[in-house]
Amino acid sequence: MSKSYFMGHYRMGNCTEKRLQTIIWFSTFSTLGVHDVHAGFVSVTGGSGSFVDSSFFLARRSIHPSVAHSRFTQQELPACKPILTPRWVISAFMLVSLVFIPIGVASLFASRDVVEIIDGYETHCIPQEFRNDKVKYIQTPGVKPCIRTMTVPKHMKKPIYVYYQLDNFYQNHRRYVKSRSDVQLRENKSENDVSSCEPEDIANGMPIVPCGLIAWSLFNDTYNFSRNNQPLTVNKKDISWKSDRDHKFGKNVFPKNFQSGKLVGGANLSSSIPLSEQEDLIVWMRTAALPTFRKLYGKIEVDLQKGEVINVTLENNYNTYSFNGKKKLVLSTTSWLGGKNDFLGIAYLTVGGLCLFLAMAFTVVYLIKPRRLGDPSYLSWNRNPGGH
Amino acid sequence: MAEKGVESKRLKEVTSLVRKGARRITLSIGDGANDVSMIQAAHVGVGISGQEGMQAVMASDFSIAQFRFLTDLLLVHGRWSYHRICKVVTYFFYKNLTFTLTQFWFTFQTGFSGQRFYDDWFQSLYNVIFTALPVIVFGLFDKDVSASLSRKYPELYKEGIRNTFFKWRVVGIWAFFAIYQSLVLHYFVLAPTSSGINSSGKMFGLWDVSTMAFTCIVVTVNLRLLMMCNTITRWHYISVGGSILAWFIFVFIYSGVALPKAQENIYFVIYVLMSTVCFYLTLLLVPIAALLCDFVYQGVQRWFFPYDYQIIQEIHRHEPDNSRVGLLEIGNELSQDEARSFAIAQLPGQKSKHTGFAFDSPGYESFFASQAGVFVPQRAWDVARRASMKSRAKTPRKN
Repeated sequence: MSKSYFMGHYRMGNCTEKRLQTIIWFSTFSTLGVHDVHAGFVSVTGGSGSFVDSSFFLARRSIHPSVAHSRFTQQELPACKPILTPRWVISAFMLVSLVFIPIGVASLFASRDVVEIIDGYETHCIPQEFRNDKVKYIQTPGVKPCIRTMTVPKHMKKPIYVYYQLDNFYQNHRRYVKSRSDVQLRENKSENDVSSCEPEDIANGMPIVPCGLIAWSLFNDTYNFSRNNQPLTVNKKDISWKSDRDHKFGKNVFPKNFQSGKLVGGANLSSSIPLSEQEDLIVWMRTAALPTFRKLYGKIEVDLQKGEVINVTLENNYNTYSFNGKKKLVLSTTSWLGGKNDFLGIAYLTVGGLCLFLAMAFTVVYLIKPRRLGDPSYLSWNRNPGGH
Repeated sequence: MAEKGVESKRLKEVTSLVRKGARRITLSIGDGANDVSMIQAAHVGVGISGQEGMQAVMASDFSIAQFRFLTDLLLVHGRWSYHRICKVVTYFFYKNLTFTLTQFWFTFQTGFSGQRFYDDWFQSLYNVIFTALPVIVFGLFDKDVSASLSRKYPELYKEGIRNTFFKWRVVGIWAFFAIYQSLVLHYFVLAPTSSGINSSGKMFGLWDVSTMAFTCIVVTVNLRLLMMCNTITRWHYISVGGSILAWFIFVFIYSGVALPKAQENIYFVIYVLMSTVCFYLTLLLVPIAALLCDFVYQGVQRWFFPYDYQIIQEIHRHEPDNSRVGLLEIGNELSQDEARSFAIAQLPGQKSKHTGFAFDSPGYESFFASQAGVFVPQRAWDVARRASMKSRAKTPRKN
């Protein structure tokens, strides 16, 4: 006799039962006084000799296998029933703080070890007489040199990374981000695929390679470093991600028809170097997430001692003055974690410290206001009997 | 009030009167053809599949085999359903609110140009693959207390009547935590990327950061579901782990394949991310920082303002899990008297099953008397009469 199931599938029973025809209003169930109903049954031999086995619902006919009793459909899966007792709460907090505080300390130390020199030069590199009309100055053709000095505060180990930082430059603007054609960058034969690159798609009737606003606005300030009148070479190789060089920018795609329109937005590109080796372009085209961003310019492969004065001869070409953007030059070492960013260290320490504090606070609170686990006096019908 | 043999129009009128006049949620239960209109008039109609045929069953919202299954229908399954639906609905809004708000905070930093934070495919598949299955599993299997405890404490049903789990206050708290989590997810992911990201000084782009944020949000939202469960079966582990794994598999494939389309923003992004220590540190920090507030709230709520079902869980926390026993197979729980009356009820009764009335057997006083536990003892002559009757062959009824 196969067991029949009950919940989730109500079958017609064959059992003789009193047929009840009732209307019941369940307006508030408390008034009905619902009480224990033991739905149990028993192995009993009925008077007529019929044997009622331990499953109450005799399925006198066999059950179709598709609705057969299974732990899944009957919701009888073994389960663990976690209860958030004080012990668990405090242990969780202690565990988090034990893991986070050391990580935070390590991250903060790594960040503190990094030496960073920042120099904002967009105002200083405009000659005094042009300070009232900076846009006009920046748009005059020709070389616009500028000399800056930077003093090394602490010993900086090689390699020292040179970045340019732009403020208020929205590389994450929607129309800017979509203004590129990755398939054109990758393959020579897709040179005409410029549909998403408006307005920098076609110039003089020919497609622009690389097309789009992102490439058109390529940063074109240059920096030359010297120390004690000895030039410091800047290594401009390997400043972009290897995956970009290998797969995103083709080895046989050459710039063509670039910056040939009336409006020149940035740097020009040599048409004899393939795109996969134009690392400045590759770095620039990885659009930044925030309006204040840095991009890698190059590496200095010598140590710098504390107190040394670095002379920077830079060419102030890039027009950030039309939109009140700022330009900064950054020299930075790195650690295993990256550049100088205290955020991870501070965040880990804060969360770890907060968890430690909460663990203590919860311990105190649990000691001051204890509640026995499973205290029935907290049940709502025991707290205000008869009331709602 | 028990009605027997009343015409259906009358039954329907009385039900509608209570439903509209007294403005209560009504449930009506019946097994005959004349009960159909009454069943349809009430909010919840329950039909008993009985000897009069299936009309009541076909017209009803729920059908049961015997009248006394109504207890389980309400106290066990009705209550579980309420609990599950409340949690599923509020969780669904929470996870979408968190996801959308993370993008919303980004619009402040794009010059309000409308640049999306996440890639199109990520957005489309968020609700379809990466966060769908766990909440379904939760809605199927979650039990705040077991079935036997639900029956033992029928006062738990009050939680549904008082609408404890779907008040505006509850929705507001979920929304508050969604806002808090979206702020953590957004700013904690963006903040470490302002300077060089690995030891070779390279920088992350927009799509690197957004993929990192999406990974964090998938992990956070799925872990939040686990925090909300009262029963955790192996399907919970499979669905939560599977969803997170599905995300990683998807993004490995999506960013590993150079698709022939105009923009390949996500190309190779995940591999770039996974080559930096910053990614792993952020992935550890952000979900925990985001869920910290929820965890504190749950700890405080459970200890100082516990719900009834939580107290009952604690009272019975050491009892063995009897979910393996079928819901109605709870061994010999009948007392002697109950066993006896059961056995007597199994004796052949009247010649015909159709008595036309519900309450005419000897020994049966009235429905409400029996509910109040007042029974008239079986008459000896009746028991003897029935015991001596030849038992009818109990052939299976064809329907």
